[in-house]
Amino acid sequence: MEATILRALAFGTPLLWAALGEIVAERSGVVNLGVEGMMILGAFFAFATAQVTGEPLWGLAVACLVGGAAALVHAFVCVTLRGNQYVSGIALGMVGLGIAGLLGRGWEGTPLARPLPEVSWLTLSGILLSVALWVFLRHTRWGIVLRSVGEFPAAADAQGVPVFAVRYLSVVFGGLAAGVAGGFLSLAYRPSWTEGMTAGMGWIAIAIVIFAGWDPLRAVAGSLLFGALFHLSFRLQGYLAPEALKMAPYLGTILALTLATARRGGRWQEMPEALGTPYVRGER
Amino acid sequence: MRRFVIVCTVFLIAALASGGLAQQRKLKAGFIYVGPIGDYGWTHAHDQARKIAERTLPWLETTYVEKVPEGQVEAFIDQLIKGGAKVIFTTSFGYMDGTIAAAKRHPDVIFAHATGFKRAPNVATYMAEFYQVYYLNGLMAGALTKSGKVGYVAAFPIPEVKRHISAYALGVRAVNPKATVHVRWIYEWFNPAGAKEATEALIADGADVFAFTEDSPTVIQVAAQKGLPSFSHYSPMYRFAPKYVVSGQLVHWEKIYIDFLRKVYTGVYTPKNLQNVDYWWMLPEGAVELGAQPGMPINPVFRPQLQAVKVRDPKLGVISVYDLVFRRLREMSTNPPRFDPYEGPIRDRNGVLRVPAGKRMTQQELITMEWAAPGIVGPWPKEPK
Repeated sequence: MEATILRALAFGTPLLWAALGEIVAERSGVVNLGVEGMMILGAFFAFATAQVTGEPLWGLAVACLVGGAAALVHAFVCVTLRGNQYVSGIALGMVGLGIAGLLGRGWEGTPLARPLPEVSWLTLSGILLSVALWVFLRHTRWGIVLRSVGEFPAAADAQGVPVFAVRYLSVVFGGLAAGVAGGFLSLAYRPSWTEGMTAGMGWIAIAIVIFAGWDPLRAVAGSLLFGALFHLSFRLQGYLAPEALKMAPYLGTILALTLATARRGGRWQEMPEALGTPYVRGER
Repeated sequence: MRRFVIVCTVFLIAALASGGLAQQRKLKAGFIYVGPIGDYGWTHAHDQARKIAERTLPWLETTYVEKVPEGQVEAFIDQLIKGGAKVIFTTSFGYMDGTIAAAKRHPDVIFAHATGFKRAPNVATYMAEFYQVYYLNGLMAGALTKSGKVGYVAAFPIPEVKRHISAYALGVRAVNPKATVHVRWIYEWFNPAGAKEATEALIADGADVFAFTEDSPTVIQVAAQKGLPSFSHYSPMYRFAPKYVVSGQLVHWEKIYIDFLRKVYTGVYTPKNLQNVDYWWMLPEGAVELGAQPGMPINPVFRPQLQAVKVRDPKLGVISVYDLVFRRLREMSTNPPRFDPYEGPIRDRNGVLRVPAGKRMTQQELITMEWAAPGIVGPWPKEPK
């Protein structure tokens, strides 16, 4: 039991960080499906920086910045150029995997000299961040401004809210958090670099966002649940068919989504109204 | 005199030109990889071998494409052939049917398919096989476990992985007849997160020595964090935990590539005579090696521990596990091997006699093997009753 909780926390930490970033971005109305790409860039730059400087914290800082920079590209395409958010996000995911793979040539096959601890302050600060975000989004003026941009940008604009700036900041925040998530992978969870090491975790993070109904606190529960299910799918192999266990986390998602939708009368209450739609002043 | 100079010049030019032409007789080989060359596992090993072959054979030119989905191999084969490749290596089991189909369309090109069993006049097959080395790793694991539980993180329940785990379990039981080998499947060749959680699950269940089939050093790193020994897989992983990696399996695909390409170059292999060419290379041919680092069969850190454990062998008498490993290594490196882990009598874990006394398993039996050796604990899909 204790082992399962510890494993849930360890595997849940990167999921939580990435999911929190995505919640903020989506709350402002911008979907970013490129979480996987931002994470892998973070993972590579964290590893390379930590290896060169000998200081894993520098690695984490650089990972954070690189994730933010990658998100900035997405923000430019989606907010300024009003490109299709889904297409841009998927492209970002693929480009991120490609660039990290290309730069990572020759870095595979060496262990990290000084890894970060696994279940540690990064896990704790992820949980604290989700509480802070919950308070921010619900109870602060700026949080309400951010949400209004995601719900009804025209009205927010009419109120004098700088819609573009809010969306830019939110998307970049999402990138910073995804960068940290990637850094955690290559510095703590598995202190080394391998091409494609995120192996779909970015997509799980996006699933958690929906599962949590864009609520930062429920994202903690979602991340832990996914972490626990993932660990248990190996732990319980002696008792249950491994094929069934491998499906468990995903079956859980579908089930939870179905239940959540059914209870709300087939409609997403929490989903930001303007999610996925570029804002053009004067158009509705 | 003038005529003589002209004749000499003509000869000289002709000689130079033919020399130049001889130098220009190059062979171009194309490689198709299923993973990224940076995976530090299967594809990485093939790519290292490609580079060594290119360095060793001055007349060889190589190209490659990586991350080729198994269903799309034909298009990439065509592309490499258009680029001038005369020999194509397809390096994943799933490329088998695509390779055979492409070979029909390109009867003048030579193909070699890794790990498969379908051949054609212009398609050979090849494999660097590990089961001998797994047996040696098993001997050491049996000596090192204190809990009597040995952990194995496995990729897919297919014959190749199953015969490796069974060989490993036979080694474990040869030293430690009560020990068990606990298997967890991750259903992927490359999934570091899955390998990590599978190892954690094995540790929680009491396993204290680890081996695995997965294309990253994750299992080693997780075990080392807990201070537990492990065996490296496929690539040199010693440096990921110099105090905890005992030994492992190393591959040398270049032995096969160099031999094959030489024979193509000198005309021994043609697009008409490959129907029966199958490389099944192991320790005797040097295609595989015992160790976690080339040239180091056993990590010296573990030497005292392995020397302290003695076993009684019917033929060898009382012998330390350390000496036994080197003894078996020598016996399996001769051609034909003097010792084979799959020499009967062997019963499976349900008590069914699988290899009669005095018989060795044939290659055909090995590549279709589904049963589990005694001591293996855990799910075993497609286990014969």
